[in-house]
Amino acid sequence: MTYQTALALALPFGLGIAAFGSAFGLGRAVSAALEAMGRQPEAAGKIQVGMIIGCALIEALTIYALVTVFVLSGKIG
Amino acid sequence: MTCALNNLLLLITTGAEETGKKAAEQGAPELPNFISLLYERYGRTALVHFLHTWQNVVFSLIIILILGFVAYFSSRRKTLLPGKLQNLMEMAVESLDNFICGILGPRGRKFTPFLGTLFIYILCMNFLGLIPGMKSPSSSINTTVALAICVFLYVQFTGIRNLGIVGYLDHLAGNPRDFITWALVPINLPIHIIGELAKPMSLSLRLFGNITGEDILIAVFVSLGVMALSFLNLPVGLPLQVPFIFLALLTGTIQALVFTLLSTIYFLLMFPHEEEKHST
Repeated sequence: MTYQTALALALPFGLGIAAFGSAFGLGRAVSAALEAMGRQPEAAGKIQVGMIIGCALIEALTIYALVTVFVLSGKIG
Repeated sequence: MTCALNNLLLLITTGAEETGKKAAEQGAPELPNFISLLYERYGRTALVHFLHTWQNVVFSLIIILILGFVAYFSSRRKTLLPGKLQNLMEMAVESLDNFICGILGPRGRKFTPFLGTLFIYILCMNFLGLIPGMKSPSSSINTTVALAICVFLYVQFTGIRNLGIVGYLDHLAGNPRDFITWALVPINLPIHIIGELAKPMSLSLRLFGNITGEDILIAVFVSLGVMALSFLNLPVGLPLQVPFIFLALLTGTIQALVFTLLSTIYFLLMFPHEEEKHST
């Protein structure tokens, strides 16, 4: 097994695991935010801003995995 | 007139063909911008080669010129009852000021120019890529690392100026007060230093990854749209990328906001905090 084969097998798996983890975390964050908005509709604006920022931070970790895939996929060809 | 039109069409189709070839080699397609189109046709001249080498700087300069002109014309004659442009600029500046001072407190007023400009500049950079023929400078790692290094250096300088050199090293070592925290300094110091170094890395990679991902997504859907109508043998395609342009508007705004917010929080961490609010 050459390193190109190993990369070609491992990169999509790694990205898939990162996407799964991020979906899990985002689901928890958004569900907590929606529940808080339901309890106190007046604070919905602030809660929404906090939710967007939290989602961007969680998403960043998946983006790191995506950038790694971009960088390494050049070595396959 | 028709000769110019022919030239333009030839330019665009050559650019599209080269983009397709590059996508086939590197796997990450990118929509052509006017500089890469010029480079395909006139790449041997020195001017176009220079523009192509520095294409991110050229696009950043376009944004800076536009923002500079808008700022100049909106503040030329400041009246008490503002006209439309001055009113719009006042709204933008006041909302940014409220946002930043809401986090940093009243002493954050000094940092509003830097952080507000960061937000507006990153927002304009992210949106520029959605205009056909232009490219987001923030889709290149060089631009985002440059912005992150600026923020990092300014934050460290503010920390040294606010806390003093001894206070700054004390803050890095985790505020040792009693015997146990002094004993933990060899663990705390490297962890804090690595944390400080990780901040600009995460800022730059987050912005770069998001904007590049959006650009690649739009380019892939453009090529899908062109392939869908490939039986016509014309350089037209279905506009399949339109929903993703709206998504790119949303994520561009969110990423600019997150960059600014995180920079503001890094400044907040460098201010002297009172002992009772300091959490372990």
